[in-house]
This record gives sequence, structure tokens and C-alpha cells, in this order.
Amino acid sequence: VREVQDSAMGRMYGEPAEVQAREDGRPTGFAWRGRRYAVSAVQEHWLVNRAWWRESAPVPARPELEFWRVEASTGKNASTGSYELRRDVADGTWTLRRIAD
Amino acid sequence: MPAPQFTHLHVASSYSLRYGTATPAALAARAASLGMPALALTDRDGLYGAFKHVQACADAGIKPLLGADLAVTGEPTPRSSSQRGRAGRVTLLATGRRGWGSLCRLVSAAHATTDGDDDAPAVTPELIAEHAAGLIVLLGPASDVGQAVAARRPDQARRALDRWRHLTQEIAVEVVDHLDHKSTIRAARLAELARDTRVPAVLANAVRYLDPAGSLAAQVLDAARHLVPLGSPRLVPHNGRAYLASPDDMTDIAKRVASAMTGPGTASAAIGLLAETDELARRCVLDAAYDLGVGTHHLPETEGTAYDQHKELRDRCEHAILHGQYRTASADGRPRGVSRLKAAQQARDRLEHELDIIARTGMAAYFLTVADVANRIRNAGIRCAIRGSGAGSFVNHLLGISAIDPLEHDLLMERFLSPIRNTLPDIDLDVESARRLDAYRIIFDRYGAERTACVCMMETYRARSAIRDVAAAMSLPPDEIGAIAKSFPHIRAKHISNALSELPELRRSRLNQAQLETVFAIAQQLDGLPRHVAMHPCGVLLSDRTLLNRTAVQKSGEGFPLSQLDKDDAEIAGVIKLDVLGVRMQSAMAHTLTEIRRTENKKIDIDAIARDDQATYAMIQRSETIGCFQIESPGQRELVKKLAPRDIADLIVDISLFRPGPVNSDMIGPFLRTRHGLAEPRYPHEDLAAALGETGGVVVFHEQVLRIIDVLTGCGLAEADLVRRHLSREGGPERTAPWFRAQALARGFDPVTVERVWQVVAAFGGFGFCKAHAAAFAIPVYQSAWLKRHHPAAFFAGVLTHDPGMYPKRVIIADARLSGVQVLPVDINESAAEWRAVVLQDPPSSSRTEAALPSPPHSPLRPARPDTPAADDPGPGRPRPARSPARRLLESSGPLQALRSHLPGGRLPAPASPQAIRCSLQEVKGISDAEIARIVAGQPYISLRDFWNRARVSRPVAEHLVLIGAFDSLYDPGSRHASPDKLDSLRPLDSLASLDSPCFLGSPGAPNVRVAPRSPAPPSPASSSPASSSPASSSPAAPSPAALSSAPRPTRRDLLARVGVLARQTSSARAAAPALDLFAGTGAEAGDGMADLVPAGQLRELDLAERVAAELEVLGFDVSKHVMSFYAELLAGLEVVSSAELPDQENGAAILVAGAKVATQTPAVRSGQRIIFASLDDAVGLVDLAFFESVQDRCAARLFGSWLLLVRGRVRRAGAGPMAVTVNGYECWDIPALEELRVAAGMDAVRAAMAAGDVGPGAYQGLQDQPPAAAPATGQASDAAASGEHAAPLTFANGFVLSPYAETGGPGGNLKTPPRNLWHASPGSTAHPN
Repeated sequence: VREVQDSAMGRMYGEPAEVQAREDGRPTGFAWRGRRYAVSAVQEHWLVNRAWWRESAPVPARPELEFWRVEASTGKNASTGSYELRRDVADGTWTLRRIAD
Repeated sequence: MPAPQFTHLHVASSYSLRYGTATPAALAARAASLGMPALALTDRDGLYGAFKHVQACADAGIKPLLGADLAVTGEPTPRSSSQRGRAGRVTLLATGRRGWGSLCRLVSAAHATTDGDDDAPAVTPELIAEHAAGLIVLLGPASDVGQAVAARRPDQARRALDRWRHLTQEIAVEVVDHLDHKSTIRAARLAELARDTRVPAVLANAVRYLDPAGSLAAQVLDAARHLVPLGSPRLVPHNGRAYLASPDDMTDIAKRVASAMTGPGTASAAIGLLAETDELARRCVLDAAYDLGVGTHHLPETEGTAYDQHKELRDRCEHAILHGQYRTASADGRPRGVSRLKAAQQARDRLEHELDIIARTGMAAYFLTVADVANRIRNAGIRCAIRGSGAGSFVNHLLGISAIDPLEHDLLMERFLSPIRNTLPDIDLDVESARRLDAYRIIFDRYGAERTACVCMMETYRARSAIRDVAAAMSLPPDEIGAIAKSFPHIRAKHISNALSELPELRRSRLNQAQLETVFAIAQQLDGLPRHVAMHPCGVLLSDRTLLNRTAVQKSGEGFPLSQLDKDDAEIAGVIKLDVLGVRMQSAMAHTLTEIRRTENKKIDIDAIARDDQATYAMIQRSETIGCFQIESPGQRELVKKLAPRDIADLIVDISLFRPGPVNSDMIGPFLRTRHGLAEPRYPHEDLAAALGETGGVVVFHEQVLRIIDVLTGCGLAEADLVRRHLSREGGPERTAPWFRAQALARGFDPVTVERVWQVVAAFGGFGFCKAHAAAFAIPVYQSAWLKRHHPAAFFAGVLTHDPGMYPKRVIIADARLSGVQVLPVDINESAAEWRAVVLQDPPSSSRTEAALPSPPHSPLRPARPDTPAADDPGPGRPRPARSPARRLLESSGPLQALRSHLPGGRLPAPASPQAIRCSLQEVKGISDAEIARIVAGQPYISLRDFWNRARVSRPVAEHLVLIGAFDSLYDPGSRHASPDKLDSLRPLDSLASLDSPCFLGSPGAPNVRVAPRSPAPPSPASSSPASSSPASSSPAAPSPAALSSAPRPTRRDLLARVGVLARQTSSARAAAPALDLFAGTGAEAGDGMADLVPAGQLRELDLAERVAAELEVLGFDVSKHVMSFYAELLAGLEVVSSAELPDQENGAAILVAGAKVATQTPAVRSGQRIIFASLDDAVGLVDLAFFESVQDRCAARLFGSWLLLVRGRVRRAGAGPMAVTVNGYECWDIPALEELRVAAGMDAVRAAMAAGDVGPGAYQGLQDQPPAAAPATGQASDAAASGEHAAPLTFANGFVLSPYAETGGPGGNLKTPPRNLWHASPGSTAHPN
């Protein structure tokens, strides 16, 4: 478990996640640590260039990271939580970044 | 939703310096391709891109909007009372002509608040209110309103909005969502605020680049602008969303923001945003003609109506014809073979023709204005000459703007101004470079800052600067990046990839390959982006009093108002641009005339001299043209040898022929053959004989092309000029051919002729030369040559002071000597801030004529003799005849002078004129203008100490002056070229007070020698010395001159030591009592007060080689002795031919020549072959060399890499001139390397090495590695090899190999490396004037 740190915003993770998304990139659900979550709402959505200048691999033309803070739960009766998902725009990989309680 | 229509209202182009990355043209083209009807340009801090945007929009078929994005200075707040804080940025959009004027003035006002480059322009809200008419203020996320919203302070946001609403005429809220963290919700809140306060809200994208991929370059620019590395907390996070988004993308953004809004009306919010954006955009569309004045000419107001102006122009021109300003009034200037009556008739016809064109173009005021400017500049005593096609106008000549009579030289008005070309004509004025800014001030004073501004130009990113900025932003190691950047030639960044693949050693760098690729990829995007605003070197705008409504101005570094229009914008904006170029030759000639006036009391009107002086043309024909305007380069000297110009017309042809075009198309050969009567002129058709007669059937000038086209097609000269301009464009000839053929055939020319003429016209294409321009150049060519021929000393003083040409000064100095002018070294009491002409006052016993002529040489046809002292050198200690050191030097350095007198048309000056020049203080390395001013103000000095105390120069400067012998005359009065009566003036040395006598050491040319005030004691002989501590001044009897000359003389090394003592004393004295000058009032040299500290003669004097080395180091040229003289033995052993002997050599003979390289030139030549022209200075003169492509593999590296060269080549006697000899080189060697070999192994080894091939630096080492058979090793060589065994040659990064023995080489070994900038190299022919 790569739990990075606790913060006021919740717990930081940084683990790969399997995410289903709509065509416009909006996540609808994801699987993490063997459980499936359904996204009920998008709370925030933003983009930022990663620190491409520190990288020693070739930098893509758009080194963007796309963040989605979503409300999600494991089922109808489960409580909802706030999850921050991150997509690397260049290679399409998803990461679960943070869980806010 | 209906088909979206969207206009971007907030767009930064690359003219937002270090912010935007897209050119206006790219933005407009993209907007058009996205189907947008219009596009705004709202650059940050300036309107530099405005007219480019207008032009680009016109090209792309969309409508332009203009605005600016400006920083706002906030109120002085209680929190930070010390300075006004920044209150964000606002975007301003102009509506209509009024709004554009307000915008220009507001941007000017923003710049007026700055006091330097680092200070960013900003406006206060009050300033915006002052210029509110026609401006709409957009309040976006960067404004104080947006910032308050982001800080979740809705009340504060509302107050800020209210303040803007009351302050200005019209505001709108600008909604931007780049999908930054929290940006959507902030945009929504801003939109809600607008809704709730009933302020219009528009949607924008705050564009910085075309595509999302542009964000990396923008991010780097942010870092470069803030001078911090990427990742710094000072930088805002980036993503790729500030791009020129499509209408669909903008609709998505509108919907996204709307969906984040709460409260009433959110359902229609997206449509509302887009609709209001569209409405505002429609209102801000500017009409280029009506609002911006494009297509109209905005000339300075003149008295009266256009009719009055035209009448005044006519009156002045007619007056000039009638009353003598025009040359037909005098017989000699009349065109050849034309009677006075006919000439007058021609003049009238031409005047009517030109006045007609001027009337039709409405340019009368323009001509009057330029005439006024030129007149005022000349009245201020500044030399001023026309350049360019304006010389083709007879009106310009009659008004006195141009010295060229277009009738005399058959020049055409149509090339300059045409009724069918609605562009402002270009008149360029050449003024003295040293007084260019004075000329600007005259213009500003006359027309006022509201009508005048300098033209700006953008310094752009190039490879090196782009790589450096990107790498610095990425925090890459600066040393390696510096090395990589430096290894790039000055190329544009877009060639970086090519350079990388061609320079594989770059890949050896420790830098990560991927990082390097990133650096280069981004650097390529920065390629060509403006990074700094500079003042154009010559452009001045002249307009009416509405100028400041049409351009923003800022202050240039020189303090002039600087328009934000560049030269292309000025044309579009319809503002006259006058190019006032600083030309060094004009300054050189002005100084020459000053020196003639000063030394000979003669006032020469160089503009009025007859232009037919045969002595001058004879000098040009001998190609003794070094120092002359335009015709001094090796290639040009070669050409004037062949052409042998006889009059101004020939000079015009010469200037025009020395261009890539004529050379490429083999015009020169046929021209010269007909010119020298070896071939009959041939014309494509007899009707063209008139047009081509002057050049023997060869097309040389633009004007001839115009005539050919006119004769064949009958289209008229104005139309023909349009055709000519069209021909020079790509695909132009193909498009023109059908028209040309049809017209010519219709006029009855037979198809064969038409085809033949068309081939000539098409081949002429874009090159060729404007004859008017060449004619304008020919005048200073002639004037400079005339001055050189008749006033050589003053001329060389002018040329050396202003350095107008291509050659290093040592070449000019050598040529001065060859022209019979003595070159006197720096003298602390005689040298001034400029080079001076000097009248030598020889002792009465020797006749003047004799003195001017040197003693006969031993043999005129031998190379400069080695450094044996002159036979009459009396040796140290003995009294010397009162002859100048320079004189002795000249005699001792060989038979140069006399040699010259043996040549045809020898160049000895008239006896009465000055015969020498004195080196200026400016030449001393490291000296400052302030030091020069103090030295000159304090002259004369009586001792080193006196100098040290009063001139207060830095220690290195004092040492440099000592090293080059500037104090020698103080300590060796006998060597001065002073007349006996001047020596007498040394006598009253017996009292300190008499030192203030003005006659002391006064120079003949400066009767009012000033002596700086010294100690507070009044200059009364009765008063005793106040500084009684000085032994010299307290001694009752100072030495007489005789005693002085017999006393041991301090050597330069002694003086150097004394400088050290003085420097130490001064610093300790300053430490003890800063205000007290301990040495004030100390006496004369004999009592320098220093003889006890550093006795005279204690240290060895510099030998000749050391003196020359010191001169090269300090001055950059050799005064005492020619550098080549140190290799005399080697060169004699090889039987090297001197330049003076060249005329006697057989054509085709293989010979060796040698010298210091003074120029290399690789002009474009016919058949695309590259010829390297080079000149060697061998102390007797110059040897002109040509290296053809076949030998360049062998020679080029040595030719470019070495300074002192030995060359084997074949004599080529090229042309008709009396001395037309060139050497076609095919082998070359480095002389110091050969000398090293000679000293080590003897002449045989030198010859063997030369036979073996390449001898460059390090060759001796290479020789040692070869088997003994190849290089007979002498005992000496073995010793050398043993002492330096295994010492590896030093290999420099550029592949240059230096022998480890280089430093222990023969005499003059330390001279092998020339000081910087000792020779000139040009990549091509002389600069193209257009």
C-alpha cells in the first residue's frame, strides 16, 4: 500500500486505477483495490502541465494531467466519498490520487 | 443552438514580448480557417503588432479589432503605503477612430510612467478614465474584480466593479475558463456578478498561442520574463488551454461555465454570453481606412493648400535652373555633347515631367519637407548626402537634396516615384555617423515630438538566445548549454535540428538526449519571436500632429520618442519614414576637412569640387583605393584595376557591377571587352542601343531594364517599373512572359528579337542595381578618393578616427605610409582624442623638400629590409639630429617611401600640406572617454608624475601609454621632432611658476595650449615653491636642456616601474588623507622625484620586437616596425616576391608571396564557383590573392585560420590597368610555423616541409613524427625534439593544433596571434543597399 500522507484534504494515494469514462473524458466509474465505484457527480475538473522540464524522457507536445474530483460510492447503500482521479493525457493512464472523507 | 459565431476579444500575439508565441499572421489565418468573422489583437503593454494584425486580417479576409492588455497600478493602500500596488490587468478594446486614438495615447501614457527597461509599463485607473473616449474596459480574471472573485470576496468584487463603472465610459466583464484549478467556478461567479450588476459579460479565451502544444513555449517565456526557473512558485501553473479555440470549443466553455452558475437565468446564460460577445465584437470592428488611416498619407502640415505647395515646389525648382544652382548654368557640368540651350530645354522638360508625377501623387509637401530636413541638417554643419533611388529625381537635385544631376547620368524618376504605385517614396539621407543623433535632434526640434518619432525594430530570438533561455528555464547546467549554444553559428533556431545532425560532437555532451531534444524543440518555437524593442538604426517618422493618435510611443534608450511602428507598419500607416543613416565615411570626410582647415587654414567645399580630377582617377586606376568609400575591398580593387575608371559615370558602373547579380550572369567580361575596345558592343535589337549604349550592350542597371521593357512593349516607364518589381518575385518571369511577348509582337518586333530580349529581361530578374543609388554612392567615392589624393595626411586622420572601412587599422596605417604620410606614435603631449594631421617642422638647416623625400633606398625592388637600424643612427648617448622617431623609423623600415616615388604617378603630397598623422589616444586599449578628456585638458605634462597626478588615469592605461612610448618624448627631448626654438622653451625650467607658461612644450598646431591649474600658489616667479618637499623643485637650478639630453634616460621598463610606485603612493596617500594630493607641484622630470626610487636606466629598454608586440597588444597595430620584418630571413631564404616587385613578374610565373592577412572576401561569383579573395600586407604594399575552388580544400583552412601567410601562386595580369596583377594562390603555409622550423632545423627543413605539403601551426611537431628520410633532422631539431619529447600537441576544440614548441619558437613568436579584429572577413560582397 502506497499511502503517501494524510492531509487536511484527505489521504493521498497515487495508485493506478481502472476507470471507465465518457467520450469527453468524464469518468463514470472506477475500480480500485478490488472494489468497483460508481461516479454520481463531478465536483471539480481541471488540467495542469506536469513538471515536464524535469523529465529525462522525451516530452510529449501536451504533457497535461487531467484531474477529476468525483463523488462515488461502491453501491446504492454504501456511503459516498470524494475521490480525486488523475489521467495522464499523453498516455491515457489513470491514477487514484486522493480520497477526501 | 444556432451555428456558433464567435470572435476572440482577448488575444496576445508574439508582439506581447516574452508572452505570446503566435504571429499576427498565423492568428488571423487560423481565425479565418475556423470560420470566424473577425479577430481582436490585444497585445500586452504595446501596439507593436497592431498594423501587422490589420494587414493579416485583410489578407485572411476577416475584420480586425484592436486593443491592449495593460497592467493597472492600484491605489496607494494603507497596507503598503510605500508604493502603489499592482491591481491586476485589464484589457482595453478600441471602438472607432476615437477609440484607436485613445488607445494609442493610453499605451504611450503607460510607457511614460516607466523609467527603464526593467520597469513594466502600467496605467492607473485615473489614466484610463482620462483616455476613456471610445475605449471599452474588459474586466477579466486578472483584473481586480476577477481577483476579488477568486478570493471569494464578492463584496469587494462588487465595489471594484462599481468603481470601474463610474470611472470609465464602458465596461464589460470578461469570462475566461482555461480549466485551471477552480477556474470554472470562478468564471461562473464572475458571470453571476455581471448578471447581478447588469454589466455585460463576454466570453474570451485569453489566447497566447495557436494550439495547445504552444503551452510549453509560453511556459518557458513566463520563466524567462520573470527570470526564474520553471517550477518556481512565482509562476502560475500552465495547461494547454490558452489557444485560439474554435467556435465549438468556445461554446463548450460557455456551457461549462453556465452549468456551474447558480441563481436566476442560468439556463440561457451560455447563449447570453456568446451573444454579448458577438455584439461587442461587432461594435469594436475597426475600419482600416477610416479608423486607422490606412491608405492615406499623413504628411507634415505645410503652409497653404496643396496648390500652394505645388506652386512653391515649382518656383524653387525653376529658380534653381535659372539661377545657377543647376549645373547647366556652368559649362563644365553639362552633359557631354549637349549645347547649353539644349541642356536648358531638357532640364525644363524633365522638370515638367516630374512635377506632373508629383502633382498626380500629391507629394509636393513631401518633397518640401525632405528638402527642409536636408537643408537644416546641412546648416548645422553636418554632412548630408542622399542615397537610394531618390537620386533619380531631378526635383531632388534642384531642391538641393541630392548632389546628383539625373540628366547628366540618365537616371529615371519612375524608379523612385510612380503615379501608379500608391506607396510613399523612400528618401534616405546619409549623415555623419558621429552626428546622427544631432541630425535627429534637428528634426525633432523642427517638427516637434507630436509629429516625429523614431522607428522601432524588434530584436528577435535566435538560436543561441533561444537555447539559453529554454535551458535556463529548465535549470540545465549553464556551462554545457553555453557551449552548445556557442557552437551554433548565428543561425535561426529553426535550423537547430539540421545543425544537430551535422555536428555530432554535440551528442557527446553529458546532457540527457531527451532533455536536449526538448530544449531544441521549444527553442524552435521561440525562433523569430520578438524579445526586445530597439530603436531602428536610421528610421525617423515624420507626420502631422495626429501622429500620436496613430501610434503609441515610448522612450528609446537614447531618450528619443520611439514609435511602436516598425518600418513596414509606417508604410501601412501612411507615415513618411525618413531614413537618416549614420555613415562613417561622412564623418571621416568631415574630420578630414576639419584637419585641412586646422593645419592649412584652407576651407574646402568638397561638395563643389569638380569631379574630373585626373590625378584622382589615376590613383583609382592604380587601385590605390584603400580607405576610399566602397572601392577599397580586394574584389573592388581588382575590379577598378580592370575597369580603370575615368569619370563619375565609370564609378557608377563600377559600383553597380560589384554585385552578385552582374557577377553571376557574366556581365563583367563582355562589359570590359567592349569597354577596352576589344569587342564591338552588341545589342539585342538596334532600338535598344540608346538604352544599353552606356554599358556596351550589357544590362547593368534597373533603369536599363525599365527602358528595355518600355521600348519593347510601349507600356511607359512607370508601368515598366512595376513589371521589373514583379520580375524579381518568385514565379514573376513566368507570369510576365506571355504579356511581354504579346505586347512586343503587337508592336512589330520579330519573334526572334522578342525572344532574345525576353531572355535578357528574364535573366536580369531581381538583381542588377539601381543606377540612381550607384550614382548617389559614386559622389562620396569620388570625394574620398580626391581627399586621399590631395590631402592624404588629413584624409588618413579622418579615416583612422572614424574607421569607416573594412580593413583593420594597421592596413590603413601601412597605406598611409605608402602614401607618403608619416605615422607618429602616441605622445602624451601631442595626441588628441582623434587622429590629427601634423605639419612637421623640420630644422631650418634641412630643406623642406628634401625632408619630405626620404633618402634613396638601397634598392627599390627588394622586400622590406629586416630590422637593422638606420645607418645614420648615432647610437645611444650621442646627441641626435632633431628628427622625429617616426621619420627614422620610416627610413629604417625599408624603402617603402622611396619606392612609391618611383611608381608612376607617385603619391607624394604637396610640400605645404601636413606630412604626418599623430595617433589618437582613443586607440589605447582600455582608455575611457573621460580619461581622454582629462589627458587632453591637462596637456602639456612635464613628467610621468605630473601626468599621473593631473590626468588621473587608471594604472593599466598609464602602463599601456608607457609601453607604447607615449612618454618617450618627455625624457628624450632630442628625439622629438620639436624645432630648436621649442627646445629653447625648455629653458625656463628653473622656477616652478614658469611651468605654467603657455609656451612650454606647446604643439605647433595648438597655440592656445592650456596648462591645468596646479597648486594653489599664484604663478609668480617671486613666490617660492610651495611643495618644498620635492628635491627637484627646491633645487635652485633645474637642468638645462643639454643636461637633460645627456642625463641617463629612463627606459620604458623604468617608467613602468615608476607607474607602479606612483600607484602605490597614491593609494597609500589616499588612505591617509583622501583630499590631499601629496605630489601636487612636484617638479620636472629630471626631478621627477622618482629617480631615487626607480633610477633611470636600471631596467633594460624594450627591444624592437617587444615594442611591436606592445603596440599590437595596446593599439592593435604595429607602429614601430612592420610585423613581417621579423621574418625577413625566412622570406629572403625562400626568395619571396614583394608586392612592389609583382608588376615585373612574368604572367603565369609561379611565385611565393607573404604577408599579414588583412582581408578575406568570398563574394558570389559567376558559375556559382566560390572564389576566396584575400589580401596580404607585406610592408611594401598589398598582395591581392584569389583562391579558386579547386585549391580551396588544400588552402581554405590555413587561409582562414592563420594570420601571417606564405602563399604560392601564379601571377595573373588581368586587365588594362597599369598595375593589374593578382596572384592565383594554390598553396599556403603559416609563416610562424615555418619560422619555427627554420630556427630549429634550418632552411632545408623548411623547404622539405613545404614540399611535403601542409605547414601550419604544429607542423614542426608533425615533421618530427615522420621517418627521418622525409625530414632531415639536424642536431638542433633533435635537441628541440628531446626537450619537448612526448609533449603532445595542443588540440583545440575547433581542430586547431598548436605545437608544444610554439611558445619557444623564433623571434616574433609571440606575434603570431593577432589581436582581436585584426583582419576583416565578410561572408559575401559589400552590403546590399536595399
